Amino acid sequence: MTSRSLLALVRLSLFRDRRGAAFSAFGVAMGVGSLVFFLGLGLGVGKVVREKVFPQDARLVDVVPPTLSLGAFIGGGKIDQAAVDRLAALPGVERVYRKMTVRVPAVSRYEGDFFGARLRMGVEILAVGVDPGLVKKDIQLGEFSDPGPGKPIPGVAASRLLEIYNKSFAPARRLPQLSPTMVVGFAFPVEFNRSFVAATAPGPITQEQVQVVGVSDRGLLAGITIPLEVAVRINRSAGVDAETFTGATLQAVDPSAVPRVVEEAKRMGLQIDDQERRLAENAGAAVAVTTSALALLSALICLLAGVNIAHALSASVRARAKEIGVMQAVGASRSDVRDLVFAEAAALGLFGGAVGTVLAVAAMKAVDLLSASYLPPFPFKPDTFFALPWYVVAGGVALGLLAALAGAYFPARHAASMDPARTLAG
Amino acid sequence: MICTRGLKKSYPDPGGELVVLDGLELEVKEGEFVAVIGPSGSGKSTLLHVLGGLDVAYQGEVTVAGTTLRGLSERELASFRNSLVGFVFQSFHLVPNLSALENVRLPGYFGQQGASSSARAEEVLARVGLSHKKEKVPAQLSGGERQRVAIARALYSRPKVLFCDEPTGNLDAVTGKEIIGLFQELHREGLTLLAVTHEERMSSAAQRVLRLKAGRLLADGGAE
Ligand SMILES: Nc1ncnc2c1ncn2[C@@H]1O[C@H](COP(=O)(O)OP(=O)(O)OP(=O)(O)O)[C@@H](O)[C@H]1O
Ligand SMILES: [Mg+2]
Repeated sequence: MTSRSLLALVRLSLFRDRRGAAFSAFGVAMGVGSLVFFLGLGLGVGKVVREKVFPQDARLVDVVPPTLSLGAFIGGGKIDQAAVDRLAALPGVERVYRKMTVRVPAVSRYEGDFFGARLRMGVEILAVGVDPGLVKKDIQLGEFSDPGPGKPIPGVAASRLLEIYNKSFAPARRLPQLSPTMVVGFAFPVEFNRSFVAATAPGPITQEQVQVVGVSDRGLLAGITIPLEVAVRINRSAGVDAETFTGATLQAVDPSAVPRVVEEAKRMGLQIDDQERRLAENAGAAVAVTTSALALLSALICLLAGVNIAHALSASVRARAKEIGVMQAVGASRSDVRDLVFAEAAALGLFGGAVGTVLAVAAMKAVDLLSASYLPPFPFKPDTFFALPWYVVAGGVALGLLAALAGAYFPARHAASMDPARTLAG
Repeated sequence: MICTRGLKKSYPDPGGELVVLDGLELEVKEGEFVAVIGPSGSGKSTLLHVLGGLDVAYQGEVTVAGTTLRGLSERELASFRNSLVGFVFQSFHLVPNLSALENVRLPGYFGQQGASSSARAEEVLARVGLSHKKEKVPAQLSGGERQRVAIARALYSRPKVLFCDEPTGNLDAVTGKEIIGLFQELHREGLTLLAVTHEERMSSAAQRVLRLKAGRLLADGGAE
C-alpha cells in the first residue's frame, strides 16, 4: 500500500467517524495543550526571574573580604590595591571592577518639584563607588567620573529600584511613574557624613548634588552608585578608610571560567558574594519545580489520552472486524491493516497535538491580555508570563503523536492478527 | 484456471478434528461458470476461502489463475487476492458509511499501481447498472443494489476468477434472478466464475454443477 493510499483511507475512516475521532483528538489536545501551556509558563516566569528580578551576568563574580578576617593572617582577606592587582592577574579574569562604599552615613532631604508632584522627604542613603567600566554601557548623560569638588556627582540608579518605586512606592504615595529616560538628569541634594539615626564620623558634613546619569542592572539596589574616585574622596575627607575596597566584581573571560575564578579567589582568602546568584537560583528552582510538577501532570494527561485512544481504537477495531476482513479480501496484507490503525492514531495524535498547541498559545495570549488589563501593576510585572521556544511546541506535538501511537499498539496488533475467513463467515 | 490436488482442510474440534474438505479434487477451465452445491455446513465457504487465498491452513495443492498458493508470502497472497480473484459474499460486506463509489474503489487502495481510480470505479459501477446511485451509502440501497455494488467491487481489479458465496442467499427470487443474469453476462464476457450455493436456482445458470459431499466433489447428475 502506498502512503498516498494510506492517507486516503485514513481520511475516509476518520471522516466517517468524526465524532469519535474528535473525541480522541480532544484528549490529546488537552494533554499537549496543558503541557505546552505550563512549560511556556515555567520558561516565561523563569526568564522574568533571570532577566528582570535577579539580572545575572553569568560572567560576573562578586568578591568581598571575609566576615572574620582570618585571612589577614595569611596575607589575604583585605581587598587593597595589591589584592586587586593579584585578582586581575588570575587566569580567566578579564577585568576587575573595584567597589568602595561611602563609609559615612548620608541623607537626602528633598523639597520641591518632583516630576510634576510636590515632594518633601528625607531619606538615609547608601552610596557605593565603582570603577566606571562596570556601568559604562548604561551611562546616558556626560561622563561617569569624578567631576571634582563642588560639582554634581554623577550617579547611577538601579533598574530594579526604579521598578519597585514605580510599582509599589509611587502608586501608594500618588507620585508620578518614572521611566529610565525620565530620571536621567534628575538631581537631588545629598549630605554626606550626616544621619538621622546613626553616629557620624568626626569629619565635616559635605553638601553635594547627585545627578542621575543612567539606570543600570548593575546599580546598587538599595542606594546610589557613584564613581569610585568620588567615594574615595568623600571617605578621605571624612577621615575614614579610603584605602581598602569593600569588594570587587570580577569579570571572567567567559561563563565557563567562573568556577575556576571562584576557586582562586577563595584561595586568596576572599569570600564570594553569591547572595544574589543564590536567590536567583532558589527562585529559579522554585519555578522549575512548580513547572515540572505541572508538566508532569500534563504528561499524565497525555498518557491518559493515549489510554483513551487505545480504548477507542480497540473498540473501533472490534466494531470494524468485518470491514477489516473485507479489506483483507480485496487485497490488504496484515501489515497494511496494522499500518492503517497506526496511521489513524498518528493522524489523531498530530491533529490533537496541533490543536492543543494552538489552544495553549491562545490561552497564553488571553492570560497576558487579562493580566495587562486587570492585574494591578506590581514590581517586575512582565508583558508576558510565557516563553515558547520552538522545541516546546515540537516536543508537545511529538508527545501527542507518541501517546497516540503507543495507544494504537495493541489495537493495531489485534487488527493485523484477525482472520478474514472467520470475520467474513456468515 | 482453478486446480486442487488432494485438498484437505480440518478444524480442531473437541471430539478430535472436524474434517471439512477431505482430499478434494477440482478442475475449472478458463471461462467456465461452475456451481458447487451442498447443504449447510458441508464446507462450501471453507472451500472458497482456501481457493481465494483467505485461508492458508490446509493441506494439498491449490493453483488459481496460474498461481500456486502454497509458499506465497503473506504480502504476495494479499496481492493475489487484490488482483487475480474477486469475492462476492452472501451478506454483501459493504463498508457502511462509505458511498457506493468509495466501496467499489476500495481494492484500488491496496493495489500495486498505488492510486485508487474513481474513473475505474465509475466504469464498473456502470457495468452493473448503478451509475446513478454512486453517491448512495449501503443503507440507502436495496439488497439487489448492494449486491451489484459488491460485484462491481469484485470486478474493480479485473480479476481472472470471481468467487461467489451464496450471492443470492439474501435476495428475493426476482432480484436473485437479476443477479444471476448479471453473472451469466459476465461469464459470456469471458470471466471464470465459481459460485457456491445450496440453492438449485443458481445451478441452472451454471455450465457445470458439482456437489460437495463428505469433503469431496461429485459431478451432479441431477438426482443423486
Ligand atoms: N473457524 C471454524 N472453526 C471451527 N469450525 C468451523 C470454522 N469455520 C467453519 N467451521 C465448520 O466447518 C464446517 C463447514 O463450514 P462452512 O462455513 O464451510 O459451511 P458452508 O457449506 O459454507 O455452510 P453454509 O451453507 O451454512 O454457509 C461447518 O461444520 C462449520 O461448523
Ligand atoms: Mg457458507
